[in-house]
Amino acid sequence: MKNPATLPGRILWNAFFWTYERATWQYDVMVIAILAFVWLTPPDWLGDPMAQGLGPVGWIIDALRGG
Amino acid sequence: MTFTGLIGRIFNAPLRAIIRACVALRIHPNVLTFVGVIINAAAAWQLALGWFVTAGVIMVVANIFDYIDGKVAVELGAVSKFGGFWDSVIDRFSDILLFIGLIYLYSHLRRTDYVMVTSLAMMFSIMTSYTRARAESMITRCKVGFMERPERIVLFMIGAFTNRMAAVLWVILVLSIFTVADRVIHTYRELRQPRQAVA
Repeated sequence: MKNPATLPGRILWNAFFWTYERATWQYDVMVIAILAFVWLTPPDWLGDPMAQGLGPVGWIIDALRGG
Repeated sequence: MTFTGLIGRIFNAPLRAIIRACVALRIHPNVLTFVGVIINAAAAWQLALGWFVTAGVIMVVANIFDYIDGKVAVELGAVSKFGGFWDSVIDRFSDILLFIGLIYLYSHLRRTDYVMVTSLAMMFSIMTSYTRARAESMITRCKVGFMERPERIVLFMIGAFTNRMAAVLWVILVLSIFTVADRVIHTYRELRQPRQAVA
């Protein structure tokens, strides 16, 4: 199987066929992306049984509304 | 120095002290492994009750035992094939216990959707370990895919401490599916290579 030619394609390919070691910059990027998803996705969107509200996204929306 | 490398270094200092203490007390690494699973059972119980922060604290303690057993074995000169096998088996029990705790909680809350998400995450987490173990009985190495046990455990702790367990379960599920698929494809390609060379 050959790597895709385009940059977005290569990024997705390398994320799927993950071969990087821990403590590399690629690992850092993946960790940051995961933490962003975990902490920024509003619990209501996921129907979280133990957490409610919109989380940080809700705070930003409230701040923009001046509330 | 990467961000994750720096975090590893910060946590390494206190862990080294604990390892030195265990070596001084000559605690057998297999005992440490077993104590780890017992403490993880307590964490699972707290998850089942919905007490996530307490569960997170207990998980931290349990995983200290989990992390240091191999290092203590090396320093005590007690490395054995059985020790490696015992560690792998107990790790699977620890993993499953945490998932069972969450399955109990979500079924108590009558959330069939998250019972399913947690069950599938548990299945693919176990398959992540199984595919690698089985593959490495046929090929030299199958260390591909992102979602391995340390990542899973850290994610569990993050989910517990910040009450974001649902998001964590989705991450574990999706990335475990990718990891299993990655290992199957990698093994297929590795096993196909010699025949291609002959042809």
